Amino acid sequence: MPIEIKNLCHSYKKGTPFEKKVLHNVDLIINDGEFVGLIGSTQSGKTTLAQHFNALIIPQNGKVIINGCNTADKNAELIKLRQNVGYVFQNPDYQLFASTVGEDIAFGPKNQKLSPGEVNSRVLEAMEQVGLDYNTFYERDIFALSGGQKRRVAIAGVLACHPQILILDDVTAGLDPKGREEILTVIRKLHFEYMITIIFISNSMDEVARLVERIVVLDQGNIIIDGATRDIFNQAARLGDIGLELPEVMDITTKLRNKGFNLPQAVINIDEAIESISADLLERQVGD
Amino acid sequence: MELTKNITLGVYLPGETVIHRLDPRTKIIIASVLIILLLMIKSYPAYAVILTFLSAVIFMSGIPLSYALCGLKPMLPVLILMWVFQLFLYSNPDSKVIFSFWIFTATDSGMHMGNLISLRVIFLFTVTTILTLTTSMVSLTDGLESLLNPLRKFGLPIQELVMTMVIALRFVLILAEELDKIVKAQMARGVAFDRGNFIQKTKKLFPVFLPLFINAFKRAEELIVAMEARSYTGGKGRTKMKTLQMSRVDLGAGFVMLIFSAIVVLLIITIKPQI
Ligand SMILES: Nc1ncnc2c1ncn2[C@@H]1O[C@H](COP(=O)(O)OP(=O)(O)OP(=O)(O)O)[C@@H](O)[C@H]1O
Ligand SMILES: [Mg+2]
Repeated sequence: MPIEIKNLCHSYKKGTPFEKKVLHNVDLIINDGEFVGLIGSTQSGKTTLAQHFNALIIPQNGKVIINGCNTADKNAELIKLRQNVGYVFQNPDYQLFASTVGEDIAFGPKNQKLSPGEVNSRVLEAMEQVGLDYNTFYERDIFALSGGQKRRVAIAGVLACHPQILILDDVTAGLDPKGREEILTVIRKLHFEYMITIIFISNSMDEVARLVERIVVLDQGNIIIDGATRDIFNQAARLGDIGLELPEVMDITTKLRNKGFNLPQAVINIDEAIESISADLLERQVGD
Repeated sequence: MELTKNITLGVYLPGETVIHRLDPRTKIIIASVLIILLLMIKSYPAYAVILTFLSAVIFMSGIPLSYALCGLKPMLPVLILMWVFQLFLYSNPDSKVIFSFWIFTATDSGMHMGNLISLRVIFLFTVTTILTLTTSMVSLTDGLESLLNPLRKFGLPIQELVMTMVIALRFVLILAEELDKIVKAQMARGVAFDRGNFIQKTKKLFPVFLPLFINAFKRAEELIVAMEARSYTGGKGRTKMKTLQMSRVDLGAGFVMLIFSAIVVLLIITIKPQI
């Protein structure tokens, strides 16, 4: 299910004195099986852009074509489309409403009018995908969950609808390091094991660098960078210019390089850093 | 679909016009007088006078007319329903029948009743909207407090009441914004709000209103903590950063209001009610 966006503009409160232009002529294509990071500082329009991907927002200007279907089309089957493109919201409190975990996850499949047996197997499967133990959590009260667990229930609630594309809007915000790692592991598994196309929205370079294969950078409603993760970090200087912080690992390797270490430009995760630094050290020892 | 777009009640549109600069007390008094007049009016000419007055105010305040009125859009179905009810259900002895079918008869007095009631609702709404659009939350609070202050003698906690009222007004927009997000979150999981029969549709409201209420309570609690953290203890001993000051403009506004009210009252007394 490719997503194709052409010349998309969006203004909130259009036609009122509070009108605010949020997206400016955005062009973007997301293909099947991609693992895309959509990043940008706060208020840059990430959520607004992403909500076009599953027709939660219908384009005011320009086109959004999902699997060949124009979302602005009068007889587009938006409900069907939203089943295929799942969207996990920035704040799980907007989504979770049922009293127990199981009931909330079952909400999506029930809306698809599946039989009780199917609904149950969907819930079981989704809980397994996000790493929530069925027996422990099925009957658990939603309000008794931690932040990380709530996020996982929210993701499971969307996974249970069986989407082919999953949009994750800032799902690690406000989590402690442990909760964050757990969620990132779940997301990796969803992409590499269950082959779901993932669009991961975040404002942390660090996270995105470690996770995705392609990065799209949004700045004040314009896409300013779009490319493979490694290519992008090869232009580190440019990222600095637009005020995006680089991943910590890159920060350290740049400093080391300035001190005379011979390291490649784009070292984007800790494993690579360890590898290249030890290689360099080894070389020096040999040289001595 | 954007739920918050047409919400104008409780929204402040900053500006530098005469209307914005009027003392909040003047504006509150004028709005109250208008409301009282509106509740008494039973004929079209009097509405015409109020319409003139409000148009002038909207023009002077620099609020685009379309924006001042867009808050009415969500109310339109209710207004139409009300009008239809009046058309068929209200009649007095000397009313003429316009048309009838089956068991329903539409009379001219019913139509007038419908018109007048709709006009009343529209005008009442517009008056309050203009007041909040041109008055910041702080001025509104100060103005109301100052006007209601005499009631404190009877032991009423005026400052607290006013604070509560103004916060409630601000929450209209905040709750609408939350509602917008929640509706989207549930639509993302396949809720079709426009499908199904009455019971099915009602059931679909649970996933929306439950999070809405829970989040509203959470927000209220956060607000309480934030206020207490800054040592808010209610009205007692609280002083003002800005003291209110009436000016000549306020005097002028009061004068204009007086003339208009006099005309309206005259019309109310002299013209035979339409209904
Ligand atoms: N429902 C709305 N009504 C009016 N303005 C809105 C609405 N939603 C977002 N905005 C405005 O649009 C702009 C872009 O918001 P958006 O949520 O798309 O940014 P974002 O990149 O997702 O930010 P964040 O990282 O904070 O989530 C912001 O300035 C915001 O104030
Ligand atoms: Mg966002």
